[in-house]
Amino acid sequence: MSFREKSAWISFICLLLLTVAYFEVEGHDLIAPLHLTLAIFVAFALLQVVLHLIVVAQAPRDARTPKDERERLIELRAARVGFYALVVGEFAAMGLFHAHGRALTLMSTVLLAILIAWLIKLGTEVTLYRQGS
Amino acid sequence: MATLPIDNQIRRMRFEHGEMTQQQLAERIGVTRQTVNAIELCKYSPSLEVAFRIAAVFNAPLEQVFQYRQSG
Repeated sequence: MSFREKSAWISFICLLLLTVAYFEVEGHDLIAPLHLTLAIFVAFALLQVVLHLIVVAQAPRDARTPKDERERLIELRAARVGFYALVVGEFAAMGLFHAHGRALTLMSTVLLAILIAWLIKLGTEVTLYRQGS
Repeated sequence: MATLPIDNQIRRMRFEHGEMTQQQLAERIGVTRQTVNAIELCKYSPSLEVAFRIAAVFNAPLEQVFQYRQSG
């Protein structure tokens, strides 16, 4: 498995944990306590950094190599899929806001849409790397 | 996943050039080993620039390294 693929896996798993943790803490109140939100985001950043440092230590030469044309193409294709997911999510958020009229619902669904779109982008990257395309 | 309509002789040519590894070829053309593997397996079509670099490594014309597979 290449360094970039491992990196995509790490980001995907960390973001999945962040999403689950955030919405678990947020619960039905649609707003998470600030200190818990900060703790979740700091833990997310730290976990990403630590896991990436481990992967870099295993293959420092791969990590130093700049992205080649295939890896850039994979990233672009994944970003396009993620963008469409984000557009769908934002329209869903607008629809929910019209239905419920609550600002907190809008904020929560917009954040959820961003996180899901990001997960879809990373998931697409992992899939394309797995396919070897 | 479907393979692309461009065949190549990279694997054979690597072995004819002192059993060159995918990693060695990758370093000479400025891509990753995984990209060389994807090209060899016809899962990725390289840019014209990379295709010319591969041909230059083997000191062969482009059409000797890559062949377009006409359908039908």
